[in-house]
Amino acid sequence: MITVHNVSKTFKLSREQKKELSDDEARKTVDAVSGVSFECRPGRIFALLGPNGAGKTTTLRLIATLLKPSSGSITVSGHDAVKEPLKVRAQIGFLTGTTKLYERLTPNELVKYYADLHGMEPGHFQKRKEEIFSLLNVHDFANRRIGKLSTGMKQKVSIARTMIHDPAVVIFDEPTVGLDVITSRSIIELIRASRDAGKTVIFSTHIMGEVSLLSDDLAIIHNGKLIYRGAYKEFQSHMRSDSLEEEFIRLLKEARA
Amino acid sequence: MKMIMTIFRKELLDSLRDRRTLVTMVVVPLLPFPLLIGISSRVTMSQIKKAQEKVLRVGVLATQTPLNFRSMLAGREDIRIIDLPTLDEGTALVQSDSLDAFIAFDPAFERAVTELRSGGVTHVFKAAERREIETDRVRKIIDAYAATLREARFKRMNLDASIINTLNVNEQNLASPKERIAEVIGGFLPYLFIIFCYLGAIYPAIDLAAGEKERGTLETLLTAPVGRMQILLGKFGVVTLTGILSAGVSIFGLYIGIQQVREIPPELFQTIMSILELKSIVLLISLLIPLTVFFAAGLLSLSIYARSFKEAQSLISPLMIVVIVPAFLGLLPGMTLTEVTALIPILNISLATKGIIAETASPWLIAEVFVSMIALAALSLYLCSKIFGRESIVFR
Repeated sequence: MITVHNVSKTFKLSREQKKELSDDEARKTVDAVSGVSFECRPGRIFALLGPNGAGKTTTLRLIATLLKPSSGSITVSGHDAVKEPLKVRAQIGFLTGTTKLYERLTPNELVKYYADLHGMEPGHFQKRKEEIFSLLNVHDFANRRIGKLSTGMKQKVSIARTMIHDPAVVIFDEPTVGLDVITSRSIIELIRASRDAGKTVIFSTHIMGEVSLLSDDLAIIHNGKLIYRGAYKEFQSHMRSDSLEEEFIRLLKEARA
Repeated sequence: MKMIMTIFRKELLDSLRDRRTLVTMVVVPLLPFPLLIGISSRVTMSQIKKAQEKVLRVGVLATQTPLNFRSMLAGREDIRIIDLPTLDEGTALVQSDSLDAFIAFDPAFERAVTELRSGGVTHVFKAAERREIETDRVRKIIDAYAATLREARFKRMNLDASIINTLNVNEQNLASPKERIAEVIGGFLPYLFIIFCYLGAIYPAIDLAAGEKERGTLETLLTAPVGRMQILLGKFGVVTLTGILSAGVSIFGLYIGIQQVREIPPELFQTIMSILELKSIVLLISLLIPLTVFFAAGLLSLSIYARSFKEAQSLISPLMIVVIVPAFLGLLPGMTLTEVTALIPILNISLATKGIIAETASPWLIAEVFVSMIALAALSLYLCSKIFGRESIVFR
């Protein structure tokens, strides 16, 4: 369960960013996320939809305790993200689209490293590793250096790393960006499997197809503010446009006006 | 502690599998001493031997050279006499390296000597570094000739030649061989150890912070249930270890270098080997530990600040001068460890190492160096942890 209550995040602008602003816009800070509230429940997939730079990654980083909110509160499985960040991190699995792994380690070493960081018992780790490696077919390349693996293999290792400690909450930040169709499919299956296993799932995307394919709940974010929040089915039934994409663009235009 | 060790082990394994780290940590510090000592000693010894054995071409004026000087030269197998008509011609031949030396006696030389005055002699030579030995050989011949003339003069005057000695100086040098060697190499060694400490720590520091940031692995690491300080200490341990190992490898390289040179006089060899005794090495390494901690914290801070590997390199490279200058100051003559210099980072290590080699360093000053470096290392580590804790820097 994730509860985000009236969360804002303000960043100081760098010197380069200030230079890019016109005299009228001259300011020292930018609100990346402003007064955002939503709830993600176990056994459901929550999609955070928005254009590039809308505040999706910042929101997910706030939930993952990588950033601290300027105001508001976030709780993950009952733990406060600011006061108990280690307890929050113990509950989450975090996966991003671009494969981010230690290229000089093998899948076995990498997964063991993250299991150790999560304080897993050796017996439990072995059992869990067997399950995940069998499910993803990682055994064949488990002892090869990650740097020598294909993109698809690396993505499987990323998934294994994310899920090794059996997290109650899984966060996916634009998980299919830059991936081919087959690799994207494995991510989509993982998201579904996580929901079916009763986990709380939140993913950010700007791809409409993924929203219609996966989401139970939906929030649309634009310029750091939520412009829609509710169940996906409800959203579909109230659409004023012919397609999800057109409805999304209509909402963005409405928000700008 | 368990988490710090987990991170330390992983970072060490990751670093040791990186060829660039291995090159900067092992190959670079291992090679200079054996190469420098081996090549320079062999080249120097062969040059000296060549200069000592060479038959020198010495030009003299055909008409004005005293017969006894000419016969003195003729009696030597290592000299070939070449008669020339004028001083100018002799000078030109020395200038063009056709002669090793030219000796021209004044026309009134023999009369001046007979009248108990000084006779004029012109010694033309072209002594650059490698010709110094050859010039010295000719100079000694002239000195020997002067001594025969002096002896003859004293004899003619019925005087004992020893009356010219007004002082009978009994010199007693109380400096130990170690102290004398410390004067020569005592500044040079710490200079190299400090540089290798720094060089060895650079690459892992960049790779484990800016490199992780650039590759995106830092973000996933920070979502693990581990405190930032624990992550930092794990990384920091590896950077410090590689710096220390580099310095250790350079000391081992020095040992190998000394072993392979056979021409070193036994007394000098034994003195150098006693510098490389376990006790001295332990003391040297323990001085280098706080210095490496200081380097590691500074390098990691800059690396964490940088957005990419390249930016980290451009931030860190100019700092080399900040390390070299105080390390180099320790090489200057007259620069010693005092209450004040013991507080100047890097310079204090350089001077303390020099003192340890010479066995002249005061234990109190060594302790002051230790304490000041530990305080500085702790401060730099604290600042590094502050930087790593700032999200505006980590996610810059």
